[in-house]
Amino acid sequence: MVSSDRLVPAGRSLLLSYRADRMRRLGSLVGQSILLLITSSSILAVLFIFYFIGRDAIPFFQAEGFREFFTSADWYPSGDPPAYGALAIFYGSAMVTVGATLVAVPLGVLAALCLSDILPFSIRQMVKPVIEILAAIPSVAFGFFALVVFAPLLQEHGGRLLAWVGWLVGGPLAVLGVVVLSDLATAGLPEKLRAAGRGAIGLVLAVVAFVGLARLGDFFHGLQIVTGVNALNASIILGIMALPTVVSVSEDALQAVGRELREGSYALGATRAETLVRVVIPAAASGISAAVILGVMRAVGETMVVWMASGNAAHVPEPWYDFLASVRTLTANIAGDMGEADQSLGSSRYHVLFAMALCLLAVSFALNMLSEWAVHRSRKKMRGQ
Amino acid sequence: MRLGTRKLIDRGMTALGIGSIVLLAAALLVFLAPIVVRGLGAFVFRGTIEYRQLTLEKFGRGDVDAVEAEQAEAVEARRPVYEMLSAYKKELADGHESLDEAKKQFRADRKEMRRHEGLADQQRADAQAELDRREAELDRRGEQLAKHEASLVELEELIRELLGPEPGQSVPVLWRDQYGQTRWDRAQVKLDQILNVETWVDQDDPDQPRVRVLVPRADAFEGTTLAPLFPYIENNAEAMLLPRLTFYWRFLTDTSFDAHFFGGIWPEILGTIYLTLGAMLFAVPMGVVAAIYLVEYAREGFLVRVLRTFINTLAGVPSIVFGLFGLAFFISTMHVSPSKSVLAGSMTLAMLILPMVIRASEEAIRAVPATYKEAALSLGASKWWAVLTVILPAALPGVLTGIVISMGRAAGETAPIIFTAAVSVGKPLWPWEALSQPTPALPWNIYNLATEHEAVDEIRHVQYGMVLTLVLLVLLLNAAAIVMRARISKKLRA
Amino acid sequence: MTENTLHIPARKTTLPDRKPAPAAPSRVHVRAEEFSVFYGQNEAVRKVSFEIPAGQVTAIIGPSGCGKSTFLRAINRMNDLIPGCRAAGKLLLDENDVFGPRIDVTALRRRVGMVFQKPNPFPKSVFDNVAYGPRIHGVRGRTRLMDVVQRSLRKAALWDEVKDRLPQNALGLSGGQQQRLCIARAIAVDPEILLMDEPTSALDPQATSRIEDLIGELRGNYTVIAVTHNMQQAARISDFTAFFYEGDLIDFGPTTQLFTNPREKRTEDYITGRFG
Repeated sequence: MVSSDRLVPAGRSLLLSYRADRMRRLGSLVGQSILLLITSSSILAVLFIFYFIGRDAIPFFQAEGFREFFTSADWYPSGDPPAYGALAIFYGSAMVTVGATLVAVPLGVLAALCLSDILPFSIRQMVKPVIEILAAIPSVAFGFFALVVFAPLLQEHGGRLLAWVGWLVGGPLAVLGVVVLSDLATAGLPEKLRAAGRGAIGLVLAVVAFVGLARLGDFFHGLQIVTGVNALNASIILGIMALPTVVSVSEDALQAVGRELREGSYALGATRAETLVRVVIPAAASGISAAVILGVMRAVGETMVVWMASGNAAHVPEPWYDFLASVRTLTANIAGDMGEADQSLGSSRYHVLFAMALCLLAVSFALNMLSEWAVHRSRKKMRGQ
Repeated sequence: MRLGTRKLIDRGMTALGIGSIVLLAAALLVFLAPIVVRGLGAFVFRGTIEYRQLTLEKFGRGDVDAVEAEQAEAVEARRPVYEMLSAYKKELADGHESLDEAKKQFRADRKEMRRHEGLADQQRADAQAELDRREAELDRRGEQLAKHEASLVELEELIRELLGPEPGQSVPVLWRDQYGQTRWDRAQVKLDQILNVETWVDQDDPDQPRVRVLVPRADAFEGTTLAPLFPYIENNAEAMLLPRLTFYWRFLTDTSFDAHFFGGIWPEILGTIYLTLGAMLFAVPMGVVAAIYLVEYAREGFLVRVLRTFINTLAGVPSIVFGLFGLAFFISTMHVSPSKSVLAGSMTLAMLILPMVIRASEEAIRAVPATYKEAALSLGASKWWAVLTVILPAALPGVLTGIVISMGRAAGETAPIIFTAAVSVGKPLWPWEALSQPTPALPWNIYNLATEHEAVDEIRHVQYGMVLTLVLLVLLLNAAAIVMRARISKKLRA
Repeated sequence: MTENTLHIPARKTTLPDRKPAPAAPSRVHVRAEEFSVFYGQNEAVRKVSFEIPAGQVTAIIGPSGCGKSTFLRAINRMNDLIPGCRAAGKLLLDENDVFGPRIDVTALRRRVGMVFQKPNPFPKSVFDNVAYGPRIHGVRGRTRLMDVVQRSLRKAALWDEVKDRLPQNALGLSGGQQQRLCIARAIAVDPEILLMDEPTSALDPQATSRIEDLIGELRGNYTVIAVTHNMQQAARISDFTAFFYEGDLIDFGPTTQLFTNPREKRTEDYITGRFG
């Protein structure tokens, strides 16, 4: 037991000596500089990536020029003479990305709306882990699924599957469309005739819609799918992979809109759908566009799924919108060709892959800037500027 | 618009929203179901006597007496097969003999005929026709014999694949040739191949794809002594192979043999662990320090804006580009290892997950109440001491959550390690070998086995087992993160 | 007027009976001379000049946004944490300018302890909370730390309640206990001055009265400077009171005088509840 009243050693003088003061400032400066240095390693990493990819890409352009690479669709890097036309591969990347976006964006934004405005809290808590799990599954597992499970399914029952999907999605939409259209069309009629007019127009529209859907279904059913590894397969699986990104980022944007705006709309007698479409979505538009861009980035940069599911045929499909044809993407081409190009280090065949990587890098950089701009704008909007 | 219509639109929108969520969940289910069900097939399956024999002989596991007893039983059941085969071979040999005799006779007769000069034209022509007929008959018999022999070779090959080499024959080099089918599901596929011949038939419309038709193989041996073989094999397959429910949990800890035909996936698992831990080793200290700097030290301004932009850019770089960069920088320029190595792969992966670690740690540190720092500073702590003793411990669960999630990401990434670390076949490495040697890894080997393996269909169970292992690994890490996060929010509320 | 209307008692401040403040003017502990604090362009504290005596309880009152907290947090330079905050004029602690060039901020904060508005114990054990400060200042060894902890907790009138719960997480204590723990934590480094930033605003009346009693017990050993917007509390606990309004120091003097016979019209208006 210490008997002294002062158990804690007496404090130093408040005033530091000049020397100590200098040391303190210096120490703080050095410490912060070290922290800054470590933090800026990400800057360094990005610069290094651009430099080293660029360094190995330039010899290709020096040797072969730009023209063939960007304008020709002849890709025979092992031919004699070799042909390095990457247009078909660029096209494949674009096609698969567009397909994935078509899958991920409507589904993702609807799911985000549902999560932020429709589902009660308890169910939302149950759905969140589903999205997290979906986000966590490695891309190679999705690729394996696409190749081993989905591709044979698509090849054997693809037509029937597409027809089902057509009915499942088209049916409810058609019903909704018929009701709304018949209502709109009869809005000008006098009160007495309105119900009858609505019935008549509705019936006609319903028949038209049904026939259209049936023909669509027949068309799908009659499709012959030559191979299950094609742009459609890659698009669907890639879309599902990009979904979690789209859902979580747009949900954040929707949440950020705030209750006041929603309550204002409800107070004016708007339904939930009207509130969402007229008020919430416009307010969250920049955030949602950031979500879409991030989803697109995920799709553009993904390798394993497209490598395994897209069929890797380096030609532009005939006709150009044929999603049932095999395509090859930039990422898959880099991954696949490196194995052979590796032996010919320093050849154009090796450098062309870096040229492709440089293009990928440029695209993702541009998309990234775009999404940052969108996020920035949405923040500004939220602050009411 | 009518109120009813407006309400309908509202309901429609709700339904669409809920539908999309259901679709999301369904997609997850549709994905997970085959992976889990067939992935478990790598661990739990009906193993045949061949499997038990292999396990005993190659791995030294199992009860010697029991396996020998079973083996004797199986050999007994298989004997008729080999007896029928040898009987048929004898029949073919006899056929050859009689054919040779008939040919000799034919040649003698022809010589005889040519010697008879004085035959009438009519007689000569008849005799010639008779000879032609006999020659054609002999050719037909010869062709039939050759066909039967070819069929027999094919059949014997199939039977060897099903049951293993015939007892008493020389032992082949490859393990897969030394044993029959070790798994009952694969054995049934082989059985089907023995019983039926698969042929593709053109349709009437030449544009339509050809149709697969199965023809019983027994048809080819109609009327021979081999005909009863097929019903016998069909009815006694179980007796010949003795399938038993088998648990092969060592799938996780065994190394693989004969190009993944046998054994487990330990080298891949170990490689994945090395790569993941290696990546964390580089990314976590840097990421956490960067997060501390961004939250606690940096003043909002130009520098921080630039830092954030670059971190976001790094997060957006496609993973395959990281792979190329790793090859061009770590291996070709820095020469961290002579060629692919775990070290180079770890560094590449670390760059990939660095932004994730920074963001997660930043969020966690930001979530620590400012009052903690104020309290520490008011007691005379210096800033770095307050960060070290109060802020970091309070943020630790959140930081760990982020780290664990990024670990999952690192474990599952394939593209960055293709050129920097992964090989298809390899031994499990010792930690010090990881500095200079490449390794097999789960994600890469899933790709490799599913697309480039010589017998993709025969080792589906291994592929599924790998996918299941990888998915489970990643999901377990994420589940741990979810549990941790729930605990934190509970603690903060208490 | 309906019968349901609540009866709102007129705001009238009464002075409780208690021992009068020592008559002899004691040593000046903190002296502000034309002292100002700016947030960017905004002048939160405007050229205040007054002297806070040592060993006494000084209350700073005023409506919210009047600069009273800003002034308090200037004394141990907690305002340094706020970007864009700077000070002008002089704020002297025992003749050392707190904002002077070579001031050792950690030594300053060690001498000037602080208790915050909301109880903010660290998410550590009760023991580690109190021992946090002493450990920084070089107290080592379990027994010595235990002595400090025990003495501080006794001074904070918390020892009997937590002596069996020392290894437990401090966040499990009640709000009032947490605030007394924070006081114990501040006392543990042997400060000369204790700053209290509305220390009872997050507590229930019972816990508030315990804290007020505790402040009374701390008088004499520590110079206590407490910000409060509760005038009854200021009247109950303090020897001197400073009244801030919109950044200006309107009035400063012995509490009894300020409350019974304010010199300034605005002080009177404020303490009688005309505004605030």
